[in-house]
Amino acid sequence: MDEARRAKLTDWLHRATGAADVKLGAMALLSGGAIQQNWALDVVLAGRDEAWVLRTDNAATLAVSLPRSAEFALLKAAFAAGVTVPAPLYLCEDTGVLGPPFFIMRRVQGIAAGHRVVKSETLCGGRDAAVAALGRELARIHRITPPRVDLAFLGTPPDDACLAFVAEQRRALDRQVLPRPVLEWGLRHLERTAPAPLPPVLNHNDFRTGNLMLADNGVTAVLDWEFAAWGDPHADLGWFCAKCWRFGSAHEAGGIGARDAFYAGYAAEASRAVDAARVMWWELAAHIRWAVIAIDQGERHLSGKETSLELALTGHIVPELEWEILNMTGVPHAA
Amino acid sequence: MQREAPEGPSLLATARDALLQEILPKLSGTDAFTTRMIANAMAIAAREAVQNGSWLEETRATMQHLTGATEAPDTAFAAAIRAGAFDPGSAHYAEAAALLREAARMRCAISAPRVLGKG
Repeated sequence: MDEARRAKLTDWLHRATGAADVKLGAMALLSGGAIQQNWALDVVLAGRDEAWVLRTDNAATLAVSLPRSAEFALLKAAFAAGVTVPAPLYLCEDTGVLGPPFFIMRRVQGIAAGHRVVKSETLCGGRDAAVAALGRELARIHRITPPRVDLAFLGTPPDDACLAFVAEQRRALDRQVLPRPVLEWGLRHLERTAPAPLPPVLNHNDFRTGNLMLADNGVTAVLDWEFAAWGDPHADLGWFCAKCWRFGSAHEAGGIGARDAFYAGYAAEASRAVDAARVMWWELAAHIRWAVIAIDQGERHLSGKETSLELALTGHIVPELEWEILNMTGVPHAA
Repeated sequence: MQREAPEGPSLLATARDALLQEILPKLSGTDAFTTRMIANAMAIAAREAVQNGSWLEETRATMQHLTGATEAPDTAFAAAIRAGAFDPGSAHYAEAAALLREAARMRCAISAPRVLGKG
């Protein structure tokens, strides 16, 4: 970040914190997602060292992701509900400071990278302890229920989250360049087998290995709230357990631990049992949803909007997801 | 006359080996990640170059047969699936399922041979 922007940021920090003595130290770009940029920010605030993260939009923002102000409100709601999230501190919607809106949260320590997390036997006290703790985190997220004035941007919950999912994915496919028969096949299966609706809860909607920060002593942060929405609690359970988010590991709960341990942690904190069949419905849904996102990302490269090897390769994830969708819908392997 | 050997797939394989064995060990972080992506892209391109593409035409012919559509049979096939024309218990369920499985196998042979127990 150049000196002019650092000076603007320092001015804004004076106003946001109300402290006369604010010194902006080192800023380092952390490995960001395709959608956001995260900067590690060292600040001396009234003589005290602070370790923060500044989160802002990247150039290419997915239409489906929430703006920073909404993500900040979600972090506040989750923090208040006892979910382990980085404490949200300040929000800036003034585009005169850095350009896009951003917010600041406390920096937490731990490992999130999926390929590292699934290899660890010790994070969070071991595999099953880790997924039980993650189950408890998810149950706390699901205690947040509509209506909520502070989360009004999430809109009205769907009457039937399962059928709403099918309709939303079909609309997304209708916007695509090519027809996708396997995804249609999966969606039709979901439509035929949709369970009856449940009262809506807050879904994180990207609660999976890679977005969950773990340390040896426990979960240190549930990250990346930009896809949150009202829905069926089992949607998050299915997304976490789906084979496509296990990073090649054999452990069914997020590639980290046993499914039973994850469900047990969730059920203990939620005071209700997990409906395993409903989770399977949402695991199939997870593969379809990830395939639709991967197609979108590949299309961004193909259209010339954003030439990128990473986006190009993301498109090549689709066939593997299709293979799994056929497995999950009972299609035989060979004639 | 003939093209000068080695041809594309062989050249890609040799270049990929050099990248992975000689260059990658000297890299870390983002550079190592990008290099692995480049190697992955080269492998996909090499597999695509040697695949017999006749399955594409055969798939289209089967979709035409199943839907009766002569124009854009893949679009018609996708729409028919959505409408429930190939649900379990329907007359052509097994044919539709077999077509999808075979097409997915051919697509995975290029993009993700690992799921087929290869590569």
